[in-house]
Amino acid sequence: MTTHVYLSVIPEALIVSMLPPEDFGLYYAVGTRQRSRGQAMFFEVDPTLAGLQPALEQARRRCVPHSDGRPKNSVYASIYRALERVPLNAFGALYLTTDDGRVLELESGKVEPEQTDTLHLYQEFCPITPRVVSRLAPLEFSRFITGPDLLIAIPRLVFCDLKLDGLAEDPVDGEAQDLPYPHLQHLRDCLSELRTDTHKVVKMVMRNAGGGIVYRTIRSGFFVGDASGLLYYPMPSPQTLEQHHRDWWRSALMSSLD
Amino acid sequence: MLPLLFWLAPVATLLALAFAWLFYQQMIRESEGNECMRRIAAHVRDGSRVYLARQYRLMGIVFVALFLLLVVLAFVLETHSRWLPAALVVGGVSSALAGFMGMHVATHAAGRTAQAATRSLAGAMQLAFRSGAVVGLVVVGIGLLNICGWFLLLRWLHPVPAGGDAALLVVVTTTLLTFGVGASLQALFARVAGGIFTKAADIGADIVGKIETGIPEDDPRNPAVIADNIGDNVGDVAGMGADLYESYTSSILATAALGAAALLGADDPGAQMAAVVAPMVIAGIGIVASIVGVYTVRTHERATQKELLQALARGTDLAAVLVIGGSALVIHALDLPNPWGIWGAVVAGMVTGLAIGRSTEYYTSSSHRPTRYIAGEANTGAATVIMAGIAVGMTSTAVPVFAVVVGIGAAFLFASGFNLGEVGMGLYGIGIAAVGMLTTLGITLASDAYGPIADNAGGNVEMCGLGVEIRQRTDALDALGNTTAATGKGFAIGSAALTALALLAAYIEVLRGALLEANILELPLPSADAVQTAEASLQQLVAFFDVTLLNPVVLLGVFLGATVSFVFSGLIIRAVGRAAGQMIEEVRRQIREIPGILSAQSEPDYARCVEIGTLAAQREMLLPAVLAVLTPVGVGLILGAAGVLGLLTGALATGFALAVFQSNAGGAWDNAKKYIEEGRFGGKGSDAHKAAVIGDTVGDPLKDTSGPSLNILIKLMSMVAIVMAAATLAWGLF
Repeated sequence: MTTHVYLSVIPEALIVSMLPPEDFGLYYAVGTRQRSRGQAMFFEVDPTLAGLQPALEQARRRCVPHSDGRPKNSVYASIYRALERVPLNAFGALYLTTDDGRVLELESGKVEPEQTDTLHLYQEFCPITPRVVSRLAPLEFSRFITGPDLLIAIPRLVFCDLKLDGLAEDPVDGEAQDLPYPHLQHLRDCLSELRTDTHKVVKMVMRNAGGGIVYRTIRSGFFVGDASGLLYYPMPSPQTLEQHHRDWWRSALMSSLD
Repeated sequence: MLPLLFWLAPVATLLALAFAWLFYQQMIRESEGNECMRRIAAHVRDGSRVYLARQYRLMGIVFVALFLLLVVLAFVLETHSRWLPAALVVGGVSSALAGFMGMHVATHAAGRTAQAATRSLAGAMQLAFRSGAVVGLVVVGIGLLNICGWFLLLRWLHPVPAGGDAALLVVVTTTLLTFGVGASLQALFARVAGGIFTKAADIGADIVGKIETGIPEDDPRNPAVIADNIGDNVGDVAGMGADLYESYTSSILATAALGAAALLGADDPGAQMAAVVAPMVIAGIGIVASIVGVYTVRTHERATQKELLQALARGTDLAAVLVIGGSALVIHALDLPNPWGIWGAVVAGMVTGLAIGRSTEYYTSSSHRPTRYIAGEANTGAATVIMAGIAVGMTSTAVPVFAVVVGIGAAFLFASGFNLGEVGMGLYGIGIAAVGMLTTLGITLASDAYGPIADNAGGNVEMCGLGVEIRQRTDALDALGNTTAATGKGFAIGSAALTALALLAAYIEVLRGALLEANILELPLPSADAVQTAEASLQQLVAFFDVTLLNPVVLLGVFLGATVSFVFSGLIIRAVGRAAGQMIEEVRRQIREIPGILSAQSEPDYARCVEIGTLAAQREMLLPAVLAVLTPVGVGLILGAAGVLGLLTGALATGFALAVFQSNAGGAWDNAKKYIEEGRFGGKGSDAHKAAVIGDTVGDPLKDTSGPSLNILIKLMSMVAIVMAAATLAWGLF
């Protein structure tokens, strides 16, 4: 049986599994006995390019079928600082898993340049999990957070940008009826502060929002960035999801009932 | 002498059944789609049959027991009419037959509507609506045919009493009233058990599916999904059909009895007969108008929601206009006294129904302020959502109650010629108003039954993963069905209230019959000389039974009646909770124990969920049913006729308002949630949405089970009181 190496971002872990991505997502979301559930996001990683080689090799050796022939679901190679040791060129497709285990595959694409005066809302997933607003476009934001100039920089970051609807242009009076974020007024205040304080480029909105996200709020997609570059996983439009990934999309809309 | 126009009623019933057959044949000739669509439709159809078979088995046992009891009362103790046992069985069987045919049609139509949606929106809508029309026409056809048949049979077979033909009409019509008890009991099974089943399945599917496991609605991986689809048919086709069948037949029967009594001893001997057959003939006009209306319901391919709604409204509005015109002609042709006054009562009933429908729409639609207010309150959490829903539900009772008050007041005044002393004609006018409201039942029930057909069609399309365009079509049809369902509930409640009022008035006449049967030919009155029982006015009868608010027995009855509505509701809500609990456990078990359900590699055991829901519904309905049946019997035996009248008044007043409250609060909570899901107050996934989901869950059993069940309670208690009137007189302590 083929073994796969997955880098999970909720929570951060490097996992070896005999399950293909769809089955791994189902298993990871609801468990073997299907008594639990929860969102999952993971990348398939090229094991030959991944770091952590000794731990990975050890895990791959332990990843053997069960005595009754069933494939091994998971062997953890690392649960700490895994992301920073997997180089960008080892990242394969990103898999978004809904609460009930439906899996959507996102391939990486080209980062589109954005107009600079738009405000952004970013959800960071790994290795830290705050929600922040920024005047920086994703590429600049990634460079800023992971760049050597910042005193509290991190080596690599997985994040996505979230919809702001009318708040992106007008934080005070902009339309925000369809934004399911808590503490909306605080978000408006943070965005307003960014608008008025030209020295500030990033402001924290929530210290910890790492329990998963409402998939429908993703604006353009997911990013993995470090000082060397940025990987971009564009999110299909709601129309495309409705048309071609109907089961996943319906399930994704359901996750709001947590 | 039977007026020639009477025959319009039986001819109309045959027309109704003929057109129902035609629409059914047109529907059944359509394709049921691909293998998946046929399989899903077959699951729902088989499950519905299992449900109905079990319900009819239990019903059979209860009916046999009651039949034997009535045989003893009628033939051994000789306190009751000898027609009563047969009337019970025929009434129950015909209502059950209408229910069975309705379910049969609806479960065949859903898959075909889904398949029709693959071709066009207009075609799918026409197919679903005409299938709904089969349900409506079968209900009115069987109902009115039974009434006409029994009326002719009783007139022919019943010995002429001492008072001659006029007295015979009074006896025949009061005996006919007992025909309604079978329909009432069957409605109890259909509405209460059906309501419990549908909500148990819905909540079971939602709680484990949506909330615990994250499986969306109408997902074939959910073990309760088929039970949920069956529940739509059980609750909204069989349950609603039986409820309205009962209202329809009871209002005609009560009005006939009131007419016979009001014009007993009239100068024109034909006037009494005309008053008796008038409600049947007006109902016949309504059937013809409904058939014409059905043919005008059509739409075009790119229709918006508003246009779809207008297409339905075109049919019902045209039918109403035809009835207004037709009833004026018929009433004049029958040579009824005060014809314009009686016609005014017909119109008053129709306007009352319209006002209740509009009010329901206002309070439950997200296009209006009350529902948006509830949605806004979701911003501050579940507690404020629930408070807002309760507040909206409570205030929403004002318009329907006011409409009924004005409607019955107007009907009374019109029919009595604005003479408050003409109580008999005034009460007849109230009965006529109830008949007026229900005249176009053939088409209004078509709109109601259309809802679950469209809903099931949407489920079928969803489960079989058909294309986006097809889903959009069935979604549009389903959204239309949700609107008609809300107004249909308001209509059912309003008609139940008016019918119960007519039955309340008819109860006095039944008491007179029971007095005569018991050979009490003279009534001693406290403030006057004794009067002949057969000739006593309604006021004198009321005085004889001391039905005044100063009589503590009446007050006790009122309090008991008011309480019964609340206890009955509480028992039903608890029953839904318990039945849903069993369903939840089963769905959890299947997801836990059957490998591959969530990955769609294995099919859940749908039949087991259906069986659990069916058994739970039958078991859980027993206690509320016993309460509804035994309360009027017990009150009659202890407090006597005055106590029963108090009981019925109290139950009607609180039951009506409580039913409106529960139905509208539940509908408003549901639509407040949908309003947020459309992208307001944060949309799906927001805290406001979570709060609104809680409100919707609280409102579910209110709007779909206990609220509609109160319709049955207020009518069934009146009907049981009518049947037991002789026993109340014979053995009542007071």
